[in-house]
Amino acid sequence: MRASHTRWTVKFLAVIKYEILWNIRKKKFLGMLVVAFALATLSLAGDHIVSALGGPPVEPKPDFVVSSSVGLGGFGFFLFAIATAMNTISAEFESGTIVPLLAKPVSRTTVFFGKLFAAFLTLLATYCFLTVYMAIGGFVVYGPQNNLHLVPLSLLGALFSTLIWISIVLLLGTLSRSSLIAALGALGIWFGTTIIGTIVATLAGQGWILTYIPGTGNSGYANGGLLPSGPTGISVPTGTGVSTGTDSIGPNLINFILHPSWEVTYYKINLGGTTPGQVGWEPLYSEPFSNVVLTSITVALIYFIFFVGISLYVFRRAQVTE
Amino acid sequence: MGAAIETLGLTKRYGSLTAVDKLDLRVEENTIHGFLGPNGAGKTTTIKILAGLLKPDRGKVTVLGQELGWDKPGVRLRIGYMPELPKLPKHLKGTELLDIYGRMCGMTKEERKKQIPELLGMVGLGERGNDLIGTYSKGMQQRLGMAQALLNEPKLVILDEPSLGLDPVGMVEVREMMKGISKEGVTVFLSSHLLHEVQEVCTHVTIINKGVALASGTLKEISAKVSGPTIIEAEVDKISRSVVEKVKELPFVIHVSEDGKKLLVELKTRDDVRSQVSQAITAGGGIVISMNVKGESLEDVFMDLLDKRKEGKS
Repeated sequence: MRASHTRWTVKFLAVIKYEILWNIRKKKFLGMLVVAFALATLSLAGDHIVSALGGPPVEPKPDFVVSSSVGLGGFGFFLFAIATAMNTISAEFESGTIVPLLAKPVSRTTVFFGKLFAAFLTLLATYCFLTVYMAIGGFVVYGPQNNLHLVPLSLLGALFSTLIWISIVLLLGTLSRSSLIAALGALGIWFGTTIIGTIVATLAGQGWILTYIPGTGNSGYANGGLLPSGPTGISVPTGTGVSTGTDSIGPNLINFILHPSWEVTYYKINLGGTTPGQVGWEPLYSEPFSNVVLTSITVALIYFIFFVGISLYVFRRAQVTE
Repeated sequence: MGAAIETLGLTKRYGSLTAVDKLDLRVEENTIHGFLGPNGAGKTTTIKILAGLLKPDRGKVTVLGQELGWDKPGVRLRIGYMPELPKLPKHLKGTELLDIYGRMCGMTKEERKKQIPELLGMVGLGERGNDLIGTYSKGMQQRLGMAQALLNEPKLVILDEPSLGLDPVGMVEVREMMKGISKEGVTVFLSSHLLHEVQEVCTHVTIINKGVALASGTLKEISAKVSGPTIIEAEVDKISRSVVEKVKELPFVIHVSEDGKKLLVELKTRDDVRSQVSQAITAGGGIVISMNVKGESLEDVFMDLLDKRKEGKS
């Protein structure tokens, strides 16, 4: 008879292998990989396309690679999270494969974390490829690049940003046991926080709320100020745009290392003014850039732990009626 | 002999529906124990509780001497479970699935290398092991389901409708497999709709309906519990008075009647007395053409029990 003290790591690695093979052999995941490379290529070729359409000529961009976030933006992170995690738990219930899996001598906690870690490894491998692709592409398209030693931070940030969305997709999938509901629910949350939330919060002057929910976060400007612009003389914010959300952890980490003394100022759009001085942007408040970085990381961690914790709780108690 | 499975007052409800109702079940070690019941009787629910997939609302479950707790994988190390029409991950190859499940069961590389080809060969998938499960037919997936249940040298194998979806040859092979593993000291707990399959392979049977065990024991014990006489139906070339008289003289005969060319002999015993009845008919000058025993087949017992249950309710 086999010993009952089989090492936990052996079982954990078995779950990881099971899940990674699932991920890489799914056509939809391969499709998402193609989309990710397409997005990254678009990011690389953007200036050339604009130039070809009559825009300004392409100029060297020595900071392109370090600021490119592995070629994906917030929506790219979200899409990749969906592709990686929408099947993680829910598809096992949908297909019925959960039955023989959970009947094996492996604890549900091991199954859960094995699957989560496999999602992380899949992401890590993909983002590493994308990072190398962007680094080589950036060099070819925009010339020699600065601060390449900070690129791993970009990779780390991209992973972290995607993991927040993964935890949301995972939670919805575990609760509903439906991949479709997980994907559509996550899309609804993304749309709500990123599009609707941004419009409403900005118009209401309550953009700070966005800092505390997953997504792009609040928008501010560093290293600039309000300057009159155009023939109307309406003042507009200048400087480097900064997003405070969990989607921007990578760029913020890099900018913090390069510009630790930045002060970020937030504005609201004043639609009710009647004079040129009142119409336009109105400063609300400022904060040190370190606050922005720390807050986004803390918020991301809290959400990740919270969502993963609830998913684990639900999964461990799930009764398999399928 | 100890119990491989023992449940006491096992109860499971889905909302207002009681799927398993205070079920007391005892499966002796080293037996092939059939678990019979009509659709919705609570068989699969009971099996899923035993496999750790469902949590009982009440009752105590002991498997291989260990009390079953929620999400305690230790007990499952010695249980092989084949679900009804097993859904196996289609993205994996047969060998990959067994290899991964083998790792989960703590098998070493050498053990996996030796056992996996053997198991695949045993279930008739020796040449398809390196194909994706998604390309397998239902019958082949069923066979792979059987292989994964036997993977970890279990002491108890729980099979939920193992013959479903198999062709006649496959069904015979599955029965032979069950007999084979039983000879190696493995307890087999078999849920099946195929009464003749249960009758052929099982040493013990539990009949369940509406979540309640109606009877449990060897087939003979269960038959004895079901009231109603055993009747021998003998087709005789010519039924004469002397044939009837000779049969009536047998000490275990209650009543003899004629139905055309058939002699219906009602017995007070459940022992096999066909040879004595045959001898009596011959002694009376008749020639026995065929002889059947009504009331001793599992089908008869099963139907009798369900009928009784219905009568009891009405």
